[in-house]
Amino acid sequence: MKWNNSNFTISLLLLGLSFSFWSCKNDNVIVERNWQLVWEDEFDGPAGQSPDPQKWTYDIGTDWGNAQLEYDTDRPENVSLDGQGNLAIIAKRESYAGSAFTSARITTQGLFDQAYGRFEARIKMPWGPGIWPAFWLLGSDIESIGWPQCGEIDIMEYRGQQPNLIHGTIHGPGYSQSEAITKSYGFENDRFDVAFHVFAVEWVEEYIDFYVDDVLYQRISPGDVPGEWVYDHPFYIILNVAVGGNFVGFPTDQTPFPQSMLVDWVRVYKEIN
Amino acid sequence: MTNRRYTFSATWLVLVLVLFTALSCKRNFDDLEPATYPTTPEVFIDAFSEGLIYAAFGGSKVTAFDVDKDVFYKGTASMKFEVPDAGDPEGAYAGGAFFTEVGRDLSGYDALTFWAKASQPATIDLVGFGNDLAESRFLVTLRDVAVNTNWKKYIIPIPDPSKLTQERGMFLYSEGPENGSGYTFWIDEVKFEKLGTLAHPSPGILEKQDQVISAETGDKLPIGGLMETFNLPTGVDQRIDVAPAYFSFTSSNTSVATVSSLGVVSVIDAGTAVVKATLAGLEAEGSMTIQSTGTAVSPPAPAPTPTVSPDSVISLFSNAYTNVPVDTWNTHWQFSTAEDFDITIDGDDVKRYKNLNFVGIEFSSQTIDATEMTHFHLDIWTPDPTDPPAAFKVLLVDFGADGTYGGGDDSSHELAFTSPTLASETWVSLDVPLSSFAGLTHRAHLAQLVLSGDLPNVFLDNVYFYNSGSSGTTGPAVAAPVPTQDPADVISIFSDAYTNVAGTDFFPNWGQATVVSQLLIDGNNTLLYSGLNYQGIQLGANQDVSGMTHLHLDYWTENSTALNLYLISPGPVEAPFTLSVPTSGWGSVDIPLSAFAPVDLADVFQFKFDGNGDIYLDNLFFYKDSGGGDTPSVAAPAPTQDPANVISVYSDAYTNIAGTDFFPNWGQATVPSEVLIDGNNTLLYSGLNYQGIQLGSNQDVSGMTHVHLDFWTANSTALNVYLISPGPVETPYALSVPSSGWASVDIPLSAFAPVDLLDVIQFKFDGNGDIYLDNIYFYNDAGGDTPTIAAPDPSYDPANVISVYSDAYTNIAGTDFFPNWGQATVPSEVLIDGNNTLLYSGLNYQGIQLGSNQDVSGMTHVHLDFWTANSTALNVYLISPGPVETAYALSVPTSGWASVDIPLTDFAPVNLMDVIQFKFDGDGDIYLDNIFFHN
Repeated sequence: MKWNNSNFTISLLLLGLSFSFWSCKNDNVIVERNWQLVWEDEFDGPAGQSPDPQKWTYDIGTDWGNAQLEYDTDRPENVSLDGQGNLAIIAKRESYAGSAFTSARITTQGLFDQAYGRFEARIKMPWGPGIWPAFWLLGSDIESIGWPQCGEIDIMEYRGQQPNLIHGTIHGPGYSQSEAITKSYGFENDRFDVAFHVFAVEWVEEYIDFYVDDVLYQRISPGDVPGEWVYDHPFYIILNVAVGGNFVGFPTDQTPFPQSMLVDWVRVYKEIN
Repeated sequence: MTNRRYTFSATWLVLVLVLFTALSCKRNFDDLEPATYPTTPEVFIDAFSEGLIYAAFGGSKVTAFDVDKDVFYKGTASMKFEVPDAGDPEGAYAGGAFFTEVGRDLSGYDALTFWAKASQPATIDLVGFGNDLAESRFLVTLRDVAVNTNWKKYIIPIPDPSKLTQERGMFLYSEGPENGSGYTFWIDEVKFEKLGTLAHPSPGILEKQDQVISAETGDKLPIGGLMETFNLPTGVDQRIDVAPAYFSFTSSNTSVATVSSLGVVSVIDAGTAVVKATLAGLEAEGSMTIQSTGTAVSPPAPAPTPTVSPDSVISLFSNAYTNVPVDTWNTHWQFSTAEDFDITIDGDDVKRYKNLNFVGIEFSSQTIDATEMTHFHLDIWTPDPTDPPAAFKVLLVDFGADGTYGGGDDSSHELAFTSPTLASETWVSLDVPLSSFAGLTHRAHLAQLVLSGDLPNVFLDNVYFYNSGSSGTTGPAVAAPVPTQDPADVISIFSDAYTNVAGTDFFPNWGQATVVSQLLIDGNNTLLYSGLNYQGIQLGANQDVSGMTHLHLDYWTENSTALNLYLISPGPVEAPFTLSVPTSGWGSVDIPLSAFAPVDLADVFQFKFDGNGDIYLDNLFFYKDSGGGDTPSVAAPAPTQDPANVISVYSDAYTNIAGTDFFPNWGQATVPSEVLIDGNNTLLYSGLNYQGIQLGSNQDVSGMTHVHLDFWTANSTALNVYLISPGPVETPYALSVPSSGWASVDIPLSAFAPVDLLDVIQFKFDGNGDIYLDNIYFYNDAGGDTPTIAAPDPSYDPANVISVYSDAYTNIAGTDFFPNWGQATVPSEVLIDGNNTLLYSGLNYQGIQLGSNQDVSGMTHVHLDFWTANSTALNVYLISPGPVETAYALSVPTSGWASVDIPLTDFAPVNLMDVIQFKFDGDGDIYLDNIFFHN
């Protein structure tokens, strides 16, 4: 996910490079930490109920600087509990407000943010070309200092045409968009849309670790970024399913709709000593 | 809040990375469970894998396949397939199967994969696996595989790997020329794999549709459309065709229908059963609901053999004639559910239709010139009930001079047949003058016959055009004369002119050889006894005819040399009466009942005919000869209107306008007089040409709603009544003549517009014959039989409206609100509160012919306002050509104006892009307004 956009090119090359370097590093020591749960949403409730307004607000609109094709709404048809303990964000192929698709994008902006900690969510992905779900964080000071100065941590992004692959990324000043720091994690013979998986970052002053199902696949430290390390202030949470856009490409006639991202829970922890 | 502790070690990371790097490595298949059969995954990598054999399909070019060592995706060789050009003498297509002698255990894999490219962009018709040149039980195919000049990987998922424990069919393909030209494609690295990245399997039967099938005992219904979709690792769904052996089929009611393991449903009894299936434990989408009617009912004997000379016939279907070519007996047009079968009854070929809603029969490639023909004939037999309003409809279509559909020169006409023409479980001969197809303005290029209606099961025979003017026993050209006896003096057995004794069986099986049919001559129902030896008629109830004097019968025969009629009372006591044969045209006899002594006239229950030949019969009834049937024997019915609401011109029941001159001399030839019938004063116009009535004073009848009159005539064929205001302004209203007894009409005064109702001065009658008149009066239907206010003004935006009839909108131009479809309804237009309103008086049915065909597919509803105080049934139909029509029942009677907005989807399958007519049927007096489509 990017907050803004210009001259974006797919960052897979960069991704590949950092991937091959990864195993050469020997400073990736996992430190035992004592995490205390400070915020969560289990998404329990009756089917069709909108997400808890004490915890979530809506970004309503389209494009979002990424040429996303969907119009994000606050309608239960696009975002509501599924009655099975999950939040469903549902992308649909329908004409709405000038867009050919609808979906939703919910955030904790103004309701909850935190600097550092473990941010995790248990998610089952949608699928199909052009489907772009994400679980990500944005710096809460975005409205005062702008993007990418505010910083962005993409805990999970996914392309529906590559259902066995997810991506973890940070965008900051001097390393945003195509120059963002990113890495992919994939299954050889499994997919992210057939079962739930836990996506998490553990964010401390010294680095940000990216996990899938407690497997650490990326650590980004201040020394890894070519610009300023801006991950020292509160960030808020975003969950969304985009349709189309620069990262994922167009949906096709063969993309099955509707498509739901199911979120079992979102939890945020703080480190205690 | 709980504390959680996450412990990670560096070994986690190592494991992940190792897995990643190991991905491109070959699997170690030794790890799989031991199996009886080899688990070899390779089909063709650089050469044939062990035991692989190739066989070309029959009719294909056998040299199409070769191993190519110059072109390959990987390794050293690929499979090359040279698709021949169209018409290649060595074979029209490339196709074959790769299979093994010994089966392989493929249960550990989830897909067949391969790489392919082609010398040009192309679509390969079929690739797959599971063809072992034998049963091919586990065939799986991928259709229409797009290939281009780049190598690309293709995946064919295995629907249920557990089934493939000894599979011999490794790969198959079939491809024809592209646009007539051959080309080459290559396939490489063909192997079975365990991908793990196939997701969301979704099996289906019947293309995932829920089908409802009408069936009968003995039907075998294969379940087709067996398929499954998988989501590929590219996120795209791929559909494969799957053999039935992968599915498990179940029937919800095995006493009605069973289903074999290969998905063939066997219908074994009447009832309903739902067949579904599962594949690898997943419920398949789609189902087949079998509605079995049990054992089929078929005609026990063939239709009567036509007797028209072959020289005068153009036959479409008959064993009696040489038939012209017919392209198809079932065009399977959209929404048609008809199924057709060729069956034989006693050696006679018969067409059978099942599930008939409508069926097109087309002979367009060689159209029929029927300009020399006079009649269209077809014989039908149905097991279905034919009680009214069940109809069977026959549509003839002429393509016009251009010989093709459309082009502005087509013409057509549809006739509907109902009981008593229709009858259940007997052959009915429809013998129709082509002139009855009034809308069929040309018949030099007849191209279609469309059958439709309410009889889902129809057997059809002897479909032909003929010319009745030529020699041969063609039957009467005209109907039997219309009887003139007063219905009050008649007990009728068979006549369109009277109410017949209910429940009479005209086809009792008394062992006779005679073939009985019923046909229409000039729209008149007629009985035909073909090849008479003898034939009975069993009355619906025993009749006391002792009060009658005569038995009347009309009959027609060209070839009979002996014909007797018997009247029978229980005993049986029967007496014959010999009829004079053959006839010259229709013969009519009026037999004094005394001729049938000693039959008990108080208890008559059967007729019998014997003799020989082909006999047409009509108007069989008893009557009482009251000494002259040209005068009414009873007075006109006494009027019932409240005198307070009446302005009477001529009636013993009311005070009449003083000073009226009933015999003004306007130069007419009519002889007017006044007669007393049953003590009731009655006007008689003898030898009418025209006749006026000069009111004693000018009358303001604007407060009245109707004019009433009673009339009686046995011999008039035309009769109009006029209302006249000074000017003179006059408007005629046609009365239906001759009457059958006294007829009463209540004519809305609006029917006389533009006559000034404030100042009515005269009546006038014109026409012919001898006319009795009584009870001429104006009245106000104040008893709530007319709306007192206009229909509510519609509020839809005109931009979203296509209006048929409304003062609020611009209506479709040229619409005919009073088309003559043979209805009895008296349609008129009335002004209510200044608002134009349609009035259907005495509705049986009534059409509206739109001024032009309308595309209303952009609309969602049709709106109409209706008002009726006395209707007990009212349907509105929307109609598209075919005709395809669907009824929507309106709730009647109304309490004041009722408004409905009917979703257009309720009229499916009417073609909303081509709506042409409305129709109303039901009963009562109906006011209608604001008929429009809206969005």
